[in-house]
Order: sequence, then C-alpha cells, then structure tokens
Amino acid sequence: MRQVEIFNLAKFYPNPYGEPFKAVVDFNLNIEQGEFVGLIGHSGCGKSTVLTMLAGLNEISDGGVIVGNREIEGAAPDRAVVFQSPCLMPWMSAFGNVMLGVKNVYPHATKAERKQIAEYALSSVGLADSMDKYPREMSGGMQQRVGIARAIALKPKLLLLDEPFGRLDSLTRMELQDVMLEILDREKITTVLVSHDVDEVVFLCDRVVMMTNGPAATIGEILSIDFPRPRERTAMMEDPLYFRCLDHLVSFLTERAHLRTEPRIHDSNSLLSFTGRKIETPEDLAHAAA
Amino acid sequence: MEFKYKILKGIDISGLNFLSPVVRLATGEEPAKQLREIGRFIVVPIIAFLAFLWLWSVVAPKHKTKAGEVPTPAVVWDATGGIWRFHEYETQKDQAYQLTGGTRLDTLGKAKARMAELDALEARAKEQLAAAEASSKEKFDARVAPSKKAYDDAREASKDARRTRTEALKAEAAQLAGATPEQRETFLNHLRDADAAAEAEKKSLDGLKAAYADAQTVTFPETKDARRTVTVLAEERQFLVKYLDMLGDNSREAKVADAKAKAEEARSAFLNAGPDEDLYKLGSTVLKRQELLATTAASQYAKPWTLPKQIVRSLLCVFSGFLLASFIAIPIGILCGLSPTFMAATTPFVALFKPVSPLVWLPIIMIIVGGFMPDPENHWLIVLLGKVPFLGNYKIDPMFLSSAITVALCSLWATLVNTALGVGSVDKDHMNVARVLRLGFWSRLFKIVIPTALPLIFAGLRISLGVGWMVLVAAEILSTSEGIGKFVNDMYTNGSSQSFAQMFVVVFIVGFIGMALDRIMVVFQRLVSFETAGSTL
Repeated sequence: MRQVEIFNLAKFYPNPYGEPFKAVVDFNLNIEQGEFVGLIGHSGCGKSTVLTMLAGLNEISDGGVIVGNREIEGAAPDRAVVFQSPCLMPWMSAFGNVMLGVKNVYPHATKAERKQIAEYALSSVGLADSMDKYPREMSGGMQQRVGIARAIALKPKLLLLDEPFGRLDSLTRMELQDVMLEILDREKITTVLVSHDVDEVVFLCDRVVMMTNGPAATIGEILSIDFPRPRERTAMMEDPLYFRCLDHLVSFLTERAHLRTEPRIHDSNSLLSFTGRKIETPEDLAHAAA
Repeated sequence: MEFKYKILKGIDISGLNFLSPVVRLATGEEPAKQLREIGRFIVVPIIAFLAFLWLWSVVAPKHKTKAGEVPTPAVVWDATGGIWRFHEYETQKDQAYQLTGGTRLDTLGKAKARMAELDALEARAKEQLAAAEASSKEKFDARVAPSKKAYDDAREASKDARRTRTEALKAEAAQLAGATPEQRETFLNHLRDADAAAEAEKKSLDGLKAAYADAQTVTFPETKDARRTVTVLAEERQFLVKYLDMLGDNSREAKVADAKAKAEEARSAFLNAGPDEDLYKLGSTVLKRQELLATTAASQYAKPWTLPKQIVRSLLCVFSGFLLASFIAIPIGILCGLSPTFMAATTPFVALFKPVSPLVWLPIIMIIVGGFMPDPENHWLIVLLGKVPFLGNYKIDPMFLSSAITVALCSLWATLVNTALGVGSVDKDHMNVARVLRLGFWSRLFKIVIPTALPLIFAGLRISLGVGWMVLVAAEILSTSEGIGKFVNDMYTNGSSQSFAQMFVVVFIVGFIGMALDRIMVVFQRLVSFETAGSTL
C-alpha cells in the first residue's frame, strides 16, 4: 500500500538580483506503508530541505506531497519530526514533553488514556524509570529518547528523522539505532531518515535515496538494502553484502554525486564498488557498471 | 556531605556566593583556597567599609551646617537607638491602653517600681553630668586661656597703637598750615602708612580670633556621654509618666468603667424620674451616654507614626505600585513580543514616557486621583481598602494611591521591555515543535512562550522593583504621604542636629531594604531559570 507520494517536489529561494535560487528540483519518490527510507547526500545538498518540506515546516515551491491520500498543507502531528537536537522544553519533565502533543492528537481520549499513551511511548524508548526527570537531569542520549517518544506517541502516518543521532557519541548512537529499529519493527511506521552516516542508513533502511550535489539537487540513485527484518547488527556486519552496500554508497558520494543522470535504481544484484577513479561523465558511469 | 551540597546549592540560588567558601572551609575542603576566597570576598569588603566609616567620621565634623555638624557614624548609630526607643515606647503605650484587669494592675505596679528606680538613676546621672561639666570646664578654660589671652592682648595693643598713631598724625596736621605742597604730600603718605598699619593689625587680630574660636570648639566625650545618659533617662521619665497614665486613670478599662457608670446613672435617672421632670431630655441623655460608652470601648491609643510603621507603609505602597506595574506591563509586553505590529504601536509610548521623572508624574496623578475622589473619606475604594485587614491600619488615602500609581508608571517600562524581549526570543526549534504538534494559541503561549520568557520577565521585574523603591521615597516627600519620605521630610523641616542624624539612618535603611528586595528578586529569577546562569550581582 502506498503511503507517501512525492511528486516534482522543488524548493526555490528568491534572489533579488536574478533567477530564483533552485535548491531542490524534480524530487519524485513513492514510499510504501511501513517502509524505512534513508536520504543521504553531501552536506548542503538539500536533504534537510526535503525533510522540512515533508514536515510542513518549510514552504513547498513546486510539486507536492501526498501522505495517506491527502496532500499535505503546513505542519501537523500526522508527520512527526525528531530533530537533530532533542528540542525538549526544559521546563517540562520527560512525561510533560511527551504529553505536549498527545492532547491535540487524541482530543477524545480520557486523561487516563492519554497518560497511558505517553507512558507507553516513554517505556518503549527505555525511559520507564525516568519519566519525571527534567531535560537538565538527562544525558544527550536520554533527551533524544524523549524526542523519539514524543514523536511516536503521536502515532504519525509518516515519521521524519532529521539526523536524530548526529550529535551523539557512537556507543549511544548504536543503542538508539537499536531502539529505533525495535520500535519501527513493532509499530510499522513509515519513516524517512536524513543522515550522512552511511553505516546508519544501511543498517536501518529498506531503501536509501542518494541525492546529487546542489544547487538544483535531486535524486541520483536509489539503493534497496535487501536485508530481511528484524535485523541484527552483528549478523549484518558479518555479511559481505553489508560492506558492498556501504561501498556502493561511498562510491556514489565520492564519484557520482556530481553527475546529472536519470535516477538509477540499484539492488543487491547491481551494486557498484569503489573504483578509486573519478567518474566524470555518464559514459564513465556506464563503463564502470559494466 | 549530602547536606553540605544542599547548603551550597541554596547559597548559589540565593546569590550569596560569598558564603560558599565559609561552608567549604567548615567542611575542610581545600582550606588554603577557601581562606584566599574568604579574604577576597569577605575580609576585603569589610575593610573597605571600615575605611569608609573612618573617613566619614574624620570628614563629617569639619563641615558646620545650620543643623549642626554633619553627624559622624557614632552619632548616626545613636540616632538609630533613639528611633528604636521611640518606637518601643509608643508600642508599649498602645498595648498598655488596651490592658485590662490583673495584667493591667501588674504592669502598673512594675511601671511604678521602675519610676522609683528612675529617680535615683536620674539623680546620679545629673551628679555625674555636673562633675563632668565642672572638670571639662576646667579643661576648657585651660585650653582656651592662652589663645584668649593672646587675642585680648593683641586687641589692646592694637587699640593703643592706633590711638598713638592718630594723635601723632593730628599733631602733624596742626603744623601743616604754612606748609608747602610737597610737605602736604608727605603728610598724605603718612596717613596712608597709618591705614596700612591698621589693616595689618586687623589681619593678625582676625587670625588670633579664629584661633580662639577654634580652641572653643573642643568637645569633651565624658560630658557628651553624661549628657546623653541624662537625656535618655529624661526621655524614659517622660514616657513613664504617659505610660502610667495609660495604665491608670486614662486606660481604656478605667474610661469604660467611668462611661458605664455614667450611662447607668443616666438610665436610672430616666427610669426613676418623677412626672414633673423633662423625660425627653433625660431619655436623650441616656442614648448619648450609651453611645459614648460604645465609642470608648472601641477606642484605640492614637499611636503616632514611628519609623518602623512608616517603613511598612512604604513597603505596602511600593508593592501596590509594583503589582499594578506588573499587571499592566507583562500582558502588554507579551503582546509586543508576539506581534510586531503591536510592538510598533507601543514603541513611541515607551520611548516617550520612559524618561519622564516621577516628580512630573506625581502632581499630575495627584490631581487626576483627586478628581475621582472629591470626598476621599467616603469614596468606595478608600473605604474598601480601609477594611482590608492589614492594609487598613496604614491610612490608605488618595496620596497613597497617587504614590503607588507614580511608582507603577515609572517602573513598568523595564518589565515591559524585558517581557517583549523574552517573548520575542523564543527558540525557533521550540516553535517548530509547536507547529508540528499543532498547538493552539493558548497552549503555545502558556507552554512554550511564557516559560521561555520567564527568566527575562523576572529580570525586568527585578529592575522595576529597584526603580519603584527609588521613586517611592521621592514621591512620598513630594506628596507628603505617610511613609519613609514623610519621615525624611519631617526631619528636614525639623532641622535639629538629632533629626539630621536620623536622615542618615534613613539612608541606610532605604539602602538595606532595596538590597533585600533585589536579593529576593534574584532568587525568584534563579528559580525560574532552567539553565541557571552564573552569578548576577
């Protein structure tokens, strides 16, 4: 079942001295219900712009987005966002922060039901014992867990993750990635993750969308990560396919991100590997693929 | 150890950071470092203050004013005692008036005993004063005699010299009849010389006179102390006379008993009156006497305004003004922060009215308030405020309202500007969260905007309270409303050296209260700050 349809999405910024600046153009992507899509690209390529447009926090210049049969308009809790920084209200406890959105999303629920929803969300990120703690009493990792709980408590149609683990140390990051996987396997929430960590997207995602460099960034390649779910980190890391996927992504970022070609679809049968030789033209690319 | 960190946290929140090395030292944490800190943050300020007191006591007596010498710290300290004694005496009289039965008689007995003691004490103090005066008179004479003699001798000498000169010149003039113009010119020169000599003598005489006057200004501490003891005892006697009166014949109990007897008498006269007596007159007398009894039973001692009472009234006034300012400034500030349009509309008023002095506002406010209350005694607001339990004892009048409104007008700007700034500086990420969660206007306001702005709102309130306290004393002086300002004005009009010293006392009291208010606001500010910043002193 198709959950999200993004068609011809584009972002222009007005330029008083000439043509509008085109940040993102012709972004077309369909996402299935329950699918986990990663968005990767060089910094400044516009991946966060796409995500904020999906969230409704950034105005869409052209094209559109349909989420669950309805075109989006502005921000709404059906598209929950986990930001790079936890963005918790420092004057509210973890529980208070999660409850902040619950009231609006479940207007007809009783107080006890709402409380139950928030408590469930917090315990599913492993904070059952820390609900009454304030952000200043929590580590960065714990704060980000609250951020995730706040988002999943809304039961969103589309969960948007904007480099949510970018500011954490690698151990905490791995823990949170496991928490995230576990929740998504259980809840089957359609998710878009923006990241520049290739390990992360390969480990978490069903499909990775690679964006070309800006300006006028768009989709360069799409790679299916053909690992079954539920996934287990050590087993995956021992699989040669995992490294071939990484290799493909790195080779895209270093060799092909600057090329303008029609979006190419790859899966485990058509992986490219790092050639060490700069690919400058679409012909080089055909050659490398062969 | 837990306890220690609780104390340290409390110290940090209250902004009394200079105390934390003391606590750390007491628990033996890095003694050398703590001693250094104590030296810097406790000992140095104390030394600086002592140096200030020393400089003050040296400089002050050098300046003579209409109200006597500028008081030294010792005199000011003494005046503080005087203010406090006056307050104590008045409070005791107030209590004495209301005592009844056994307690009243007990107190009366004690007061009489004290009065008897006082006679002996006073006699001894007077003796000591006489002795001190006699000994100091000797010292005074000994000190003054040489300069007096020098001055007197010089004056005599100068008189003689002038007489001799004048006679000589007159004799010379008598021989000028047939003299040549040159000789006459010479005589003029002689005259000039004589004038110059007289002028020089006068100058040296003035010098001697000043030395004589200077020698006279000496004061003798023992006489001063003895005189102070006599004054204090005389004050106590004066008090006791009144106090005994309040406990005895003039106590409420005695007055009530008297009024009751009179009422009974009138009543029985009315009931037992014969047919030929004027029953109308007797009946109305009964009513009048009964009414008098009721007023007597409810009567209070007319306690004068002592400084502590004035201080409480000033505090009430400043808090009324401060609350009024907060009620106006915070909502407007929030609107300004939320809406740039509203901010644009408000900016000219803030810019225009913020610099206006309280001395301009006050007369205007007084006239306007007066216009609302042509008959203040019976105005509903004054009557209402008079009935408020605590407030009612502090003579709430239109002047009080005018002072409070002036305080509000002068102090609301800081809160308004800070609130607008705080509301305007809401974190963009937090606003994004609010957008994603689709929080409504009120939710956004109360769950995100106001909590973000609270630390700045409190920073504004802190400034407002400080400004309000400063403005208040000026407003009270100008409006002759009761309060610290009234006290200062009374002391200024009074003009004695004692009241001059009492004005200095007020300086320290106003300063101390202002400091305490500021500290309280700092604590509030810290309690609402979520990431407690460094010390704001």
